[in-house]
Amino acid sequence: MITAQVLFALLIWQLSPGGLIPGPLRVLEALGNLVSGRLLYDSLLTSLILTFKALVYSLVLTLLFSYLSVLPFFRPVAEFIVKCRYLTLTGLIFIFTLLTRDGGALKLSLLVFGIVPFFTTSFLAVILRTPAQEFELCQTLGYSRWETLYEVIVIGKADQVFEVVRQNFAIAWMMITMVEGLNMSEGGIGTLLIKYNKYNDLPHVLALQVLIFGLGLCFDYGLGQLRRWLFAYTKI
Amino acid sequence: MTPYIKKEVLLQAKGVSLCYGEKCILRDVHFSIRDIVRPGIQQGQVVSLVGRSGMGKTQLFRLLSGLQKPTAGSITIRERKPAEVGDGVIEVWRERPVQAGDMGVIFQNYYQFGWRTVKQSLLLAARRNPALAGTEEEAIREYASRFDIADVLQHYPGQLSGGQQQRVSIIQQLLKGSNFLLLDEPFSGLDICVLEKVTELLLQVSLSDELKTLIIVSHDIATAAAISDTVFILGRDAGGEGSTLVREIDLIERGLAWRSDLREDKVFLDTLAEIKDCL
Repeated sequence: MITAQVLFALLIWQLSPGGLIPGPLRVLEALGNLVSGRLLYDSLLTSLILTFKALVYSLVLTLLFSYLSVLPFFRPVAEFIVKCRYLTLTGLIFIFTLLTRDGGALKLSLLVFGIVPFFTTSFLAVILRTPAQEFELCQTLGYSRWETLYEVIVIGKADQVFEVVRQNFAIAWMMITMVEGLNMSEGGIGTLLIKYNKYNDLPHVLALQVLIFGLGLCFDYGLGQLRRWLFAYTKI
Repeated sequence: MTPYIKKEVLLQAKGVSLCYGEKCILRDVHFSIRDIVRPGIQQGQVVSLVGRSGMGKTQLFRLLSGLQKPTAGSITIRERKPAEVGDGVIEVWRERPVQAGDMGVIFQNYYQFGWRTVKQSLLLAARRNPALAGTEEEAIREYASRFDIADVLQHYPGQLSGGQQQRVSIIQQLLKGSNFLLLDEPFSGLDICVLEKVTELLLQVSLSDELKTLIIVSHDIATAAAISDTVFILGRDAGGEGSTLVREIDLIERGLAWRSDLREDKVFLDTLAEIKDCL
């Protein structure tokens, strides 16, 4: 049914008066053009490496601040990070440029700064939803506070970390195109997108958007599968 | 009547009160549980704490488990500890306030860590018990076989039936090595067949050690009284706000303890009526 709906939508798109907006056949043609060249693969590789690096750093920082947030001293720090979701990256680019040594580090730090508040918000919500009984079971078993933290939050919520990454990966993927525009010498799909936009090459722009969208869906599915494979109890 | 002696106090609640601001839930609760010794029989203690809904049973359960501190009064436990005397080591009784971890606690919904298999959960408990050092796996196999859960050791809690979850919870707390086992509404929501199995299981646990003491918090008076040696009734009196212990019934004195043919016994039925009158 979904296939039929997609085909129907494409048909309406193709038959509607286009004007400047290219039809699906032209987008498909542009996609074929992109796929047959090497530039797309180099750009994708650059973007993927940057995204994964940013994800790893963001995850480490998120876990660090989230785990520490159960201690009263670190609670305000975690809450401040959550509020940083409302900071726009555009206004901080100059400060980050001063703080970083090259374009690569600038892009990475901007991405991490943009991702961490969203990861932290989601993971703190997971921690706050922890049923009191999980802590009480630890107490009845004679666990110390650190042992309880390890069992309930670190081990018990490990599967949720994957879910948080999966749900917030879209933010990282969305920001990659933005930060790559800041330092175009290293390439990446963001750079490619800006280049095609600059020359109003809409078929290629839309073809890239289709690719970005498809890859995002693949990551979403892949991370979901990985979670189910690593944590068998999530399937129950 | 079966000969027995009531020996040392194992647990004592003295003037226990629990208030939230101006509102008192429990007031001046006093009771003690003694080691009941039956010559020639290894027999623990089974005590029931009954009361109507809203009488603060669960609050008292939390105080007894050490998960919460009373506003006033104290709950102490006495345990035998080895002490060096001259060249030798003897066991002496030591009294101290109850703390979280002292009691084996079985919650009403038999909560277990959802991310641990049954075996992993049991291992976590067994590793807390110094008496099982090095023999944890063996102890788990033995308990699993005795309580008929050997085939679900690799399962997660979400894959177990209610009865299996209850047995896992009980084994987990037994493996931890505590002499006290505190059960919150263990008969709640069970059908008649499972109910019989559960009462049998609890009796089996009470017979496993002389000092094993089961404290059952329940509103199912008949089932709780049928396996207990003492019933404490929580209720309200004219003394003030909040619930307190209004009656203690010694079922041993009435010849109603350690018997399986109680349900039709007139004395037992009269005792149940007496308990209901106190509620």
